[in-house]
Amino acid sequence: MPEVQPTNQGWGRALVLVYAVFAISALGRSSVQLAEKAGEAPLAYGLSAFAAVVYAVATFCLARPGPRTTPLAWAAVGVELVGVLVVGTLTVADPALFPDDTVWSAYGAGYGWVPAVLPFVGLAWLWHTRPRR
Amino acid sequence: MIDPLQTALIVVSLILAAVAAVQVAMDRPTGGLLLGIAALLELGLLAQAVIGIGQLVSGDRDVNGVVFVGYLLATLLFLPLATLWALGERSRGGTAVLVVAGLVLPVLVLRAQQVWTPVGA
Repeated sequence: MPEVQPTNQGWGRALVLVYAVFAISALGRSSVQLAEKAGEAPLAYGLSAFAAVVYAVATFCLARPGPRTTPLAWAAVGVELVGVLVVGTLTVADPALFPDDTVWSAYGAGYGWVPAVLPFVGLAWLWHTRPRR
Repeated sequence: MIDPLQTALIVVSLILAAVAAVQVAMDRPTGGLLLGIAALLELGLLAQAVIGIGQLVSGDRDVNGVVFVGYLLATLLFLPLATLWALGERSRGGTAVLVVAGLVLPVLVLRAQQVWTPVGA
């Protein structure tokens, strides 16, 4: 019986709520963008949708830890970290690349830089709750 | 949209976050005081949603209706769901959820207001 990481307990509960907020807002933003003006900036909007999926997977897997979901949580938070760093850097270096904003633009400046901090907190929490042998 | 209501909602949200933070520091699970504040806040959010949608339907304002109603409904659903999640753990970890909720709500209220008031209007 593999140990279940308590990622949804203690401070983890508040973390899950923060992830849920970002999942919903990224989902909302990308649906509006894709529904109203899909052709204008397909890369930015596709990226918004991708970010929404990443946040949604991270939220679910942190909220329901288990032998299958916890590794997925690691993967999702890892992708989130790479995403915010790569997209953040690209948008700062060449703003024309993404004509419209995404959650990760300018390292998430539009969201109080929370998107830049969140993956580090997520990874630290996953590390903190890992099974000790 | 009526501004005094939004201001009151933001103030009560921040009070919720502050009281929850104090309770976290005191190592308390979510209790009656926090639930009372949350209930009061939810009533205000319900009023905001009803008034907002009413004004949208009756007026001919140049507002992105889908986004506006989306924010109003998200704001309305957010607090009950966050409260349920908070009550799922009877420890200060659960109470900490309400600190986050109280800090997120003002942003949602402000965003709904921004959508209602187009830039440059």
